[in-house]
Amino acid sequence: MKNKGIVIFLVILALVIVAVFVGEYMSDKPNKSKANPYEYNIDEFKDVDDDLVLYKETKNFKIGFDEPDAVAAGEGKILVSGDGSLKIIDFSGVLQNEFSLPGKSHSLKIEGGSVYVTLEKQVLVFSENGDELLKMDLPGENTYLTSVAVFGNDIFVADAGNRRIIRFSKAGEKIAEFEGKAGDDILHGFIIPSPYFDIDINGEGELWVVNPGMHALENYTFDGDLRAFWENTSMKIDGFSGCCNPAHFTFLPDGNFVTSEKGLVRIKVHKPSGELLGVVAPPVKFDTEDQAPDIAADSLGNIYALDFERKIIRVFELK
Amino acid sequence: MKKLKYILYTFAFLLLTVSVYAQQQRFPKPEFDSGYTQPSTITPEPRALQLEYFDVLILAIFLAVASYLIIKKRSRRGILWLSVLALLYFGFYRNGCICSIGAIQNVTLSFFDATYAVSITALLFFVLPLIVTLFYGRTFCAGVCPLGAIQDLVIIKPLSLPKWLNKTLGLIPYVYLSLAVLFAATGTDFIICRYDPFIGIFRMDAKALMIILGVAMLLMGMFIGRPYCRFLCPYGVLLSWMSRFSKRHLTITPSECIQCKLCSKSCPFDAIDYPTNEKEVVKSGLGPKRFITYALIIPLWIAAGVFVGVKSHTFLSKANPDVYLAELLISQPEVKNDPDNIDVQTFLASGKSMETLVEEAEVIQDKFYTGSMIAGGFLGLVIGMTLLNTVVFRKRQDYEPHKGNCYSCGRCMDYCPVEK
Repeated sequence: MKNKGIVIFLVILALVIVAVFVGEYMSDKPNKSKANPYEYNIDEFKDVDDDLVLYKETKNFKIGFDEPDAVAAGEGKILVSGDGSLKIIDFSGVLQNEFSLPGKSHSLKIEGGSVYVTLEKQVLVFSENGDELLKMDLPGENTYLTSVAVFGNDIFVADAGNRRIIRFSKAGEKIAEFEGKAGDDILHGFIIPSPYFDIDINGEGELWVVNPGMHALENYTFDGDLRAFWENTSMKIDGFSGCCNPAHFTFLPDGNFVTSEKGLVRIKVHKPSGELLGVVAPPVKFDTEDQAPDIAADSLGNIYALDFERKIIRVFELK
Repeated sequence: MKKLKYILYTFAFLLLTVSVYAQQQRFPKPEFDSGYTQPSTITPEPRALQLEYFDVLILAIFLAVASYLIIKKRSRRGILWLSVLALLYFGFYRNGCICSIGAIQNVTLSFFDATYAVSITALLFFVLPLIVTLFYGRTFCAGVCPLGAIQDLVIIKPLSLPKWLNKTLGLIPYVYLSLAVLFAATGTDFIICRYDPFIGIFRMDAKALMIILGVAMLLMGMFIGRPYCRFLCPYGVLLSWMSRFSKRHLTITPSECIQCKLCSKSCPFDAIDYPTNEKEVVKSGLGPKRFITYALIIPLWIAAGVFVGVKSHTFLSKANPDVYLAELLISQPEVKNDPDNIDVQTFLASGKSMETLVEEAEVIQDKFYTGSMIAGGFLGLVIGMTLLNTVVFRKRQDYEPHKGNCYSCGRCMDYCPVEK
């Protein structure tokens, strides 16, 4: 036979072509669908190098809430809220006081012996005994308060629903509000796709605000002018990922940031410049991918994470 | 040596195409240590209407130029370069879409689905090459179709296929056309696009299977000229019909044939008809008898086609996702609890009731019943006519291009020593 090699080659190709047609026709049926290539799979990012983990979990406190809401620490106490009440416990976990709240709390703060609580549309100030000292209403269809920070004579409240920071005096008078819009194109206001919008003030009196949609932490003057910021969008350990992270943050006594993320749940420590310092709790420490633990830190640098799934406060100390 | 070089270049090109399917979608996107920043995801805008009209204009210009180069200028070199341009524009720049071949489905669907309106662009892409072919033969295949161009460029050592094999494989485009029309008419699938072997190469992105198909076609095309055009292309069926009636088709010789036979081996597509030996045909005495027999059994072929169509409609209808899903949910109700079955979960989340799904599936099956019957009958007729054609004696004194099968590539003109 002439061109025997070519003929054999062509027959093989013909078989391949027929096989491809049949294979393609038979595949892609409703019961033969392939694994979803667009599935949000973050398993590979859950592994964290042990050398990066600087903290160890030393103890945890059962808080007795079915639905815990928020945690704060300071002045030798831990505050935790849930099920419509607030508990004050000492660092050994002994309950010191408990009082009711008029609704579901979103954030807590203790400052100068006063307890600051934000509800959806209210900011309440209590004494440690539970006496209501001040109430500030922020009505509005979209108002959704998520965080409170206190420094000197100023109270700052984060309103996720209206994407603004409101400044009050300690007498409860509204002084100003701002929306984080800078004069140039560096940042363009707060982007808040979900109700996670945290603020805090460090020991130097610097007001820092999370811009969660930008994966950024932004420093503003009390008048609302952008002074500095850092951002890092990344699935890797040194960045923030998803629609809106970090969900919560707080300061260590040395000025470093402690951040808590949802989706890829993890708690980390960043330098004031934004550089990753280390990991407090890697993703494998958590049972859920839904909620970021609320976090607080005491004057010794211990970190308290409110685990919404296990309904406990988990204490992390430097190794 | 020259051929070896050519083969090596072709293989290098084919190897490059392998990288096309090595790409994978990943979510979350990979991050790079090199500092490369991923571009943010964008949703491409549909092509502007003016640009679509521009495509039609380009098509019309290419058709006009191709016809001019073949009929008037008789330039093989010209048509070759035009086909390269067409490959670059309609293939790699326009990513093989819209194309006249796929437009069959758009036009079909517009006839059978009142809610679907075929765009004027798709309609013109479908109609213009047919009209031009009716006048000048398949100049579209020669210089405008990117699928034809890419195959034409890889032809190295074309083999001549036996006549029986050519005829038999030549029936596949009719089957493909029937199925494409049936699937489009029932709103099931656009199979011409789905099984387009070269679109993955044009787009540098496709499923692995389709890249394999494209590469296999090109490898085959090195030895069998234009395998897709000859043995698959459904639009080729329509073009072939038009071309048979073409007013001014390509001629091998510009004036009188001198019977030098130089052109006889020039066509890589076996599309040159040789002069007939009248004496032998008359001597055999078989022509009239066979003609009558084959003509009489055409109705039987049609009946057999209808029968096969009716019997196969259930199988064919399973290609429709609604029919398949309804049958799956009836035969395996437990798949409702499979959270990984995206199609089933999507159906359940849609809120559509099982009764509605089954009703819709039954309507589609009815359409398949009628459609398969017609398609089967059509294929029976095609087989009958093909057989009949084998015994029809056409008197030919010169070497002539087969009007239906000739792609007007102009190779034969190049071989002809006769000058105007």
